[in-house]
Amino acid sequence: MKELIKQYLDRGLSRRRLVSGLSAFGLSTVAAKAVAQNLAPLGQGIGSGNAATASTAIRTIEGNGGKLFVEQLKAAGVEYIFFNPSTGDHPIFDALVDVPEIKLIKGVQEGAVVAMADGYARASGRTGVVIVANIGLPNAMTQMVNTWKDQIPLLVAVASVDQDALGRDQWQETDHHELMTEPITKWFWQAQSTEAIAETTRRGLKFASTPPCGPVFLSLPTNTLAQHAKTQIWDGSKFNVPMRIRPDKADVEKAARLLIEAKNPLLSIGDEITWCRADKELLELAELLGAPVAGEMSNLGYWSKPFPTRHPLFIGTLLRTMRFPGKPDVLLNLGNRWGEIAAPGTTLISIRLDPTSLARQAPVDLAMVADLKLAIADLTAAIRSMATASRLADIAEQRAARTRAYSAQMAELREAIGRGLADSTPISMERLGIELEKHLDRDTCYVADVDSGKTMDPLMAFGGDDKQYFGTGPNVLGWGMAAGFGVKLARPDVPVVSVVGDGSFLFSGPQPLWSMARYKAPVTVIVLNNHSYNNERNRIWNGAGRQFEAARDMTCYNGNPDVDFAKTADAFGVEGETVKEAAALADTFARARAAMVEGRPYLLDIHIKREGLGAVSQWYPPYSLAQQRTRKV
Amino acid sequence: MRALVLAHALAFALASTAAVTPSRAQQGADPLPAGDGHDLVAVACSQCHYLGTIAKIRDGAPGWRRYVDNMVLRGAQLTKPEIETVVAYLARNLGPGMNLPPAKPVALPDGPGKDLIAERCTLCHNLERVVAVKRERKAWPVIVADMVAQGAPVTTEEAKTIFDYLTANFGD
Repeated sequence: MKELIKQYLDRGLSRRRLVSGLSAFGLSTVAAKAVAQNLAPLGQGIGSGNAATASTAIRTIEGNGGKLFVEQLKAAGVEYIFFNPSTGDHPIFDALVDVPEIKLIKGVQEGAVVAMADGYARASGRTGVVIVANIGLPNAMTQMVNTWKDQIPLLVAVASVDQDALGRDQWQETDHHELMTEPITKWFWQAQSTEAIAETTRRGLKFASTPPCGPVFLSLPTNTLAQHAKTQIWDGSKFNVPMRIRPDKADVEKAARLLIEAKNPLLSIGDEITWCRADKELLELAELLGAPVAGEMSNLGYWSKPFPTRHPLFIGTLLRTMRFPGKPDVLLNLGNRWGEIAAPGTTLISIRLDPTSLARQAPVDLAMVADLKLAIADLTAAIRSMATASRLADIAEQRAARTRAYSAQMAELREAIGRGLADSTPISMERLGIELEKHLDRDTCYVADVDSGKTMDPLMAFGGDDKQYFGTGPNVLGWGMAAGFGVKLARPDVPVVSVVGDGSFLFSGPQPLWSMARYKAPVTVIVLNNHSYNNERNRIWNGAGRQFEAARDMTCYNGNPDVDFAKTADAFGVEGETVKEAAALADTFARARAAMVEGRPYLLDIHIKREGLGAVSQWYPPYSLAQQRTRKV
Repeated sequence: MRALVLAHALAFALASTAAVTPSRAQQGADPLPAGDGHDLVAVACSQCHYLGTIAKIRDGAPGWRRYVDNMVLRGAQLTKPEIETVVAYLARNLGPGMNLPPAKPVALPDGPGKDLIAERCTLCHNLERVVAVKRERKAWPVIVADMVAQGAPVTTEEAKTIFDYLTANFGD
């Protein structure tokens, strides 16, 4: 699909052929026309002359490529550039000397830079802009996988080898390096001239922020950044045009009728609700229908929790077969990539922001591509228009009574399990979850990069007026600390806690702490330190192979050395402490809170109990390099 | 770069993604022994994961309860009475000494505790696990205590004999 759009924007394709091509990808005619309409200002506006130049929002600027790049970002409303510098991109930073509207946020490793921008984008809804060194691109790409899979808007730019030197195998040149990014970007491009930099930048921003969003990669050759040209700069309003698509009215009415008449409806919810800021609309729809809501309790495959997890209609994880409420006769999937579960006797309605994964894994009976906020509002209005308020209330009450009883029963059960596991040393995940729920403010942004934390999450409240959850779908580790910083940048006035496993910390390294210290970011970092890739080991052993049979954990034990993360933080000027006893948690959280008030980061290295198969083992395949020597050198 | 894939012991896969859904090959034939509670285990547990590993584990009731509680926190749809049914089934059919799979004979060094290990430890697992590697000396008491907590039929005195033997013969 992106190739189709590229051809259109390059004027190699007519509007009619674009529409028919999009239809072939499964978009409805209405949706395809809406996409074509939204692409029109960019695809048809460049160089078309009078109308553009007459606008005050479009002006001609002269300068080197760096200045043109910066001026286009500024005109688009970009407020931060996340960066790590290289020599070739100096014209960009030279230009920024005189552009105080854009703040520079420095990271000291490319992965951290991308994760900071990613966290900022998730929390703000705006496009994160990244500049890193050409040769550091592979570092950046590890975290771009999270960005790509979760469809977060990001513009990643590098200053690349001078065009005259391309192909000479320069010491930091890799042929066609932009191709490396192809599988994890919506679009990649190399600016062909200084004149083209502003236009290329606009396209990049537009593609990144057009739903379904995603990362875009721009290669800016050093000569194009250094040379001068005169070109147009457009305000963001001229190309960041509305992209919010309403669903087809007839389809909405059909869905509304099915949901009213359903005997056992179920709502499946996903991250597109979060991205579309449709949580309030979702809550209204669920309560209107009295239908149970299933979503993501675990964090693999999902990055947010868009429905209040303690709401009586929330029944937890969407499973392939639901023992409660039983097989639905109508399953309404709202923005959930994994929520299309087809079964005989179930009518599957799916409303998705992303047409490419709609009906991708399962046959869908009624499919709509739409902005979730608009679609849910339309659906709610249609339902209200088809039945009296009292009839709807009766239907909802009949459905909800059973769900309320179930969710209350399960909540009580989970609490009891949590309490039963609360008194252990090392500290259990469950005890930590209980303590966090007690000590964190309700409006906390909870940034999680720890798969082992799954048993904590159900003991805490997320969504609605409770804590907002940020994670990543693919769980590429090393994201959490830097992303927590980015979330704080977007939401400076709410508490931010970044919860990472020791595995995640070791992947990212301590580099995000450098940015937290430099920019005085009041973020509480919690390292859940169980000296293991705990869930990884369990999953491997769950295959019942040789490691399980012989009780030999060949891969996952991370202890020896037992890294002291608080000491690591200290090296970066970040105060921290190690916590080994559950009884110490309350005082620890109080000290972290005091640090937040003072406007500085704080790190807690909390020793956590390993769980599951092989948990007690500290063995790993021994090997001593020192013993291999024949000379003691 | 390695992405941390989920997983606690048996469930860990509480999302309907390709990465966490049991493969068709894994699902295969029913590996669980018949008995009261079988159908509940088969239905509730297979919502998320492969059943084969369950059949290879032997644990006492406390150990099985820990697994099942963990699954419920991860999203398994089991009510409190159903948890009791599931734990009772698992402890009865896959408890210490029950339906043990065949194991390769392993020769243990002589010494106090040898017979105890051969008799009790094998109620839940093979001896290859015991002799496969040397572990830190301080690790053995922790491992034995964990087994006892999970339901190994061993008295406090016997546990000491066992970890003394293991420390002496398989400690590093």
